[in-house]
Amino acid sequence: MSKKKINIENMSAAEIREHRLNILYKVLPIISILLLIGLWLFASSLSSGFPSPGDVWERTVRLFTKPVKKMNLFGHIFASLQRIGLALLFDWTFGIAFGILIGWNRKAKAFFTPMFNAFRAVPPLAWIPLITLWFGIGEFPKVLIVIFGSLASIVVNVQAGMSNVEQIYLNVGTVFNTNSRQQLFKIAIPSALDAIFAGVRTSTSAAWMVVLAAEMLGADSGVGFLISRGMDSMDMPLVLTSMISIGIVGALLAIITQYAERLICPWTRRKKSF
Amino acid sequence: MDEKKKVILKLEHISQSYVVNSQVKDAVEDVSLEVYDNEFLVILGPGHCGKTVLMNIIAGLEKPVGGAVYLDGEQVEGSDKRIGMVFQSLALMPWKTVMANVEFGPEVAGVPKEERRKTAQKYIDLVGLKGFEKSYPHELSGGMKQRVGIARAYTNNPEILLMDEPFGQLDAQTRYAMEEEVLRIWEKEKRTIIFVTNNIEEAVYLGDRIVLLSNCPAKVKEIYDLKNLARPRNTTDPEFLRIRTEISDNTDLAL
Repeated sequence: MSKKKINIENMSAAEIREHRLNILYKVLPIISILLLIGLWLFASSLSSGFPSPGDVWERTVRLFTKPVKKMNLFGHIFASLQRIGLALLFDWTFGIAFGILIGWNRKAKAFFTPMFNAFRAVPPLAWIPLITLWFGIGEFPKVLIVIFGSLASIVVNVQAGMSNVEQIYLNVGTVFNTNSRQQLFKIAIPSALDAIFAGVRTSTSAAWMVVLAAEMLGADSGVGFLISRGMDSMDMPLVLTSMISIGIVGALLAIITQYAERLICPWTRRKKSF
Repeated sequence: MDEKKKVILKLEHISQSYVVNSQVKDAVEDVSLEVYDNEFLVILGPGHCGKTVLMNIIAGLEKPVGGAVYLDGEQVEGSDKRIGMVFQSLALMPWKTVMANVEFGPEVAGVPKEERRKTAQKYIDLVGLKGFEKSYPHELSGGMKQRVGIARAYTNNPEILLMDEPFGQLDAQTRYAMEEEVLRIWEKEKRTIIFVTNNIEEAVYLGDRIVLLSNCPAKVKEIYDLKNLARPRNTTDPEFLRIRTEISDNTDLAL
């Protein structure tokens, strides 16, 4: 970088233009963050109900020195991650298998689609009363709600990928005498891998959204619990601390799934988009 | 040269029709054809009419409504290992490297890895893609992709190679280069090639014989024997131009 700056006089016009644009693209996100903090400072100076960045920072530190329910911030984040981990384990096994089935087999599609559409038309949070009645308020019902909230997004993506396999690839298979098992495993599933990954990404973010809601309605751990605790005790700095943690963890999850996709499917040149 | 040529593939009264918007449309009408062993046969026809359908029927990708295909005297049902195909375009699997694409045929046939690697490498070298084995299709140019397609078809060791307008989407320069390539490869590894094109110059440059198809529905209009036109051919040679004009005058316009 510094070398380039020294040599700026030797650069061609095109290089200088490129160089300036690159600087601009790096500066703009920083301005954006600074503007957000500025707006926050301004808003908190107007109302005492809106904690300042300093208050939030202080509250975050206090969360480590004086844990809530014997858990610091990381403990609560981990509790939430554990719940979505279990739910995603189910999504990525059963959900992917089910998506492949209804995307590939027309009879299965005709049979299961009405059932599946009815299921996914109901918002996951609407299940809470029934699930609470059946399973109480332990870990299992929370994981179940997360599954209900994230399963549809992976099934829909996988199904779309499997039913849009390019005919030409299947023709190549036919010319090379593939049997139907090879058509499925050597052609259809690999060609749908990018759609499957889109499902992995959307189900992850959906699970992260739903787990917070599930935790806000009766839990004694997790980031959603921290928010409802903050609400009950009028502890707005705690609410904002939790909100910011949620944002950061959500972004990290998106980066991780994106990175995994690039590792497993090196042929998709998806640009960073989160 | 004049010894009796062996017929390897025979089409007998092939017809194909489809129902489009509740109307029957004929795509191919009563095409009968004999293809000789190791010849370079070009099927030339206008527009989007019947040529690809004919290829798909020979490859076993679709069933004709009438007629039959015979390979070495036996009727062909469905796809056959002895018939390979180079597709129009985009038929390389984007999730596979060049090597994995080329070895796909033997892979699904259950040939052990080491053996199929050796065959695949031979043809990757032959088409001039040495060093690109680990590249993905999206990293290759249009001409290179077609080379992969050719290598893939050869690696399965077919007796007959169908090439369905393989260079239709290449720019003119690359197209000339690929025509020379395909002849070079064919001279080295003799197979029966059935090459479909809508380009008269390409047909005269490549073919031992040219089967001229009519406008829709496709019928055999004329068969030209170009055995006496010496190779390598020169597109500005008077004899070349004479044949080109002769075929051109006989061609239906598809507008």
